[in-house]
Amino acid sequence: MTLVFQSLRKVYGEVVAIDDVSTAFAPGMIHGVIGPNGAGKSTLINMTAGSYTVSSGSITLDGKRLDKLKKYQIANSGIARTYQNIRLFDQMTAIENLEVCFYPAEVAAAWREVIWPPYANAQRRRRREKCMEILRVFDLQGYADVDARGLPYGRQRMLEIARALVANPRVLLLDEPAAGLNHHETAELTAKLTALRSPDRIMIVVEHDMDLVMTLCDSIIVMHHGKLLFRGTPAEVQASTDVQLAYLGTANDIDDIRAAAQNRRAQLGIRTRRRS
Amino acid sequence: MAAVDTLATARPRANRTISWLVLAIAIALIVATPFLPNYHVRVLNSLLIYILLGIGLNIVIGYTGLLDLGFVAFYAVGAYSYGLLASPQLGLHMPFLVILLVAACLGAVTGILLGIPVLRLRGDYLAIVTLGFGEIIRIIINNLDWLTGGPQGIARLDKASILGIQIARPIDFFWLLLITVLLVGTVVWRLERSILGKAWAAIREDQDAARGIGINTTNAKLAAFATSATIGSIAGAIFAASQRFVSPESFTLQESVLIVLMIVVGGIGNIFGIVAGAAILILLPELLREFAEWRILFLGLLMISLIIVRPAGIVPRSFGPEKLIRGLFGK
Ligand SMILES: Nc1ncnc2c1ncn2[C@@H]1O[C@H](COP(=O)(O)OP(=O)(O)OP(=O)(O)O)[C@@H](O)[C@H]1O
Ligand SMILES: [Mg+2]
Repeated sequence: MTLVFQSLRKVYGEVVAIDDVSTAFAPGMIHGVIGPNGAGKSTLINMTAGSYTVSSGSITLDGKRLDKLKKYQIANSGIARTYQNIRLFDQMTAIENLEVCFYPAEVAAAWREVIWPPYANAQRRRRREKCMEILRVFDLQGYADVDARGLPYGRQRMLEIARALVANPRVLLLDEPAAGLNHHETAELTAKLTALRSPDRIMIVVEHDMDLVMTLCDSIIVMHHGKLLFRGTPAEVQASTDVQLAYLGTANDIDDIRAAAQNRRAQLGIRTRRRS
Repeated sequence: MAAVDTLATARPRANRTISWLVLAIAIALIVATPFLPNYHVRVLNSLLIYILLGIGLNIVIGYTGLLDLGFVAFYAVGAYSYGLLASPQLGLHMPFLVILLVAACLGAVTGILLGIPVLRLRGDYLAIVTLGFGEIIRIIINNLDWLTGGPQGIARLDKASILGIQIARPIDFFWLLLITVLLVGTVVWRLERSILGKAWAAIREDQDAARGIGINTTNAKLAAFATSATIGSIAGAIFAASQRFVSPESFTLQESVLIVLMIVVGGIGNIFGIVAGAAILILLPELLREFAEWRILFLGLLMISLIIVRPAGIVPRSFGPEKLIRGLFGK
């Protein structure tokens, strides 16, 4: 099972957001995607998940074309995602945010839930138990019956990842999961994500937090102006002068990249506070 | 977390009192109805019809979050189903239950037909287009004289009967409507709690994220439109049978708006809210009848104060049938 981008392009009017990107992602690994603001990282995630259409080129999973499918069909092919700006079902409880993910598998029997109460109760109990297990993995069990919008920001990030995991996806796409998190939460996130690595799962993490990327990822691609600039292990990325130049123009070591990440975190911190 | 916990433990006793109170009032009202004069029973019947309509429309507005202003179209479909199939108009005299079934199916079909073109629309655009649909249906009925009798409508509709029992007096319709409301209310409440109901809520909250977790939003929305329209159509058929007369006048935009207001005033997305909203918007004008032209002013002021005091509706979203049952029978 591999996820393959073949000569992928995305243009928004005049702007070329993704320019001829071809690469492949293997299962069992965590793939990092880094690059300066506007490099096209989110666009890659959005096209893979079907949120945006592909201008040209193709995306295939296991040889099966994804880019021609509708967004919900892509999700049902085993691709789950989180969003750069958290998108939860705000006025549903934390556990309902997960329970609703059983829709594709169980909607055909919805009428039975309506006419046969014991069946409905059994279904509800089973769904709740399964989702409670996932909430526990993310230490969210205490928030199960709290509206998603009532959760602290860091918990909302966790809940969004939890929701993405309900369907046990083959491909997990995370767009800046650490954005707006404090040091403590980022450490917690790193641990949780590491535990999600599985031989039959492809994980792709877009992130600006270089510490997180370097510790978490097995392989990293560097995007720059919509192009795939570099691909390698964390060590290779850190050693690459191309990458340093891309980030800062005049960068001469990884510390500058870290400084850029710090800067970025500060920006997000401001955005986060405004949001809540 | 502590705050959440105390809330949860402090509530049950209050909830118990409220639940028993609600049940007692409902039973008292039901038991008293047979002894009320016909005029009052008719008012209660109209209340029940509006509750039925509210339950139907709430699926689209409250659960799925789509502002539909053309709901009255489905009410008309049901009413004219009865008008055409049980009157001298076409010389057809089908049994009431058969017509109810036909009306339900026709309602579902029109619900889907009107739903398909508006699938991509949301918010204001959806409201305007559905408003247009409601009006189109009314205008068609108005102009299809050879079939619908045009503005004069159809008179002398058959008396309804179910399995040989005649449904003719207001009190008969009261029982029929009460049973229908309880049945439909239960089905809709169970639907809301089913996986489909959860998907409706997800679409309401964030349609795109709903697609992202694999929800075929087209199908889920059409299911909402169809269910909602079916209920509207059933309400229309019973309405026509109780009036024994149908005309386009009963299906104006004002009716759609009234049902939306009921839902908003009562508490969006909550079945009990609809009952409260209907009680205020249907009963109050009747009670204020003596004040003639003043009553609209009264109602206007009441609406404004309600929306200021309780912007989320009279009945809190959390007080639904589930809470009532828990309040009545313990945990
Ligand atoms: N919906 C859109 N319409 C038009 N242009 C867009 C749209 N989304 C992204 N772009 C443009 O495409 C380019 C790539 O954007 P993208 O969001 O993929 O960058 P990114 O690498 O995720 O950046 P960041 O780190 O800021 O999240 C940018 O120039 C951006 O302005
Ligand atoms: Mg981005």
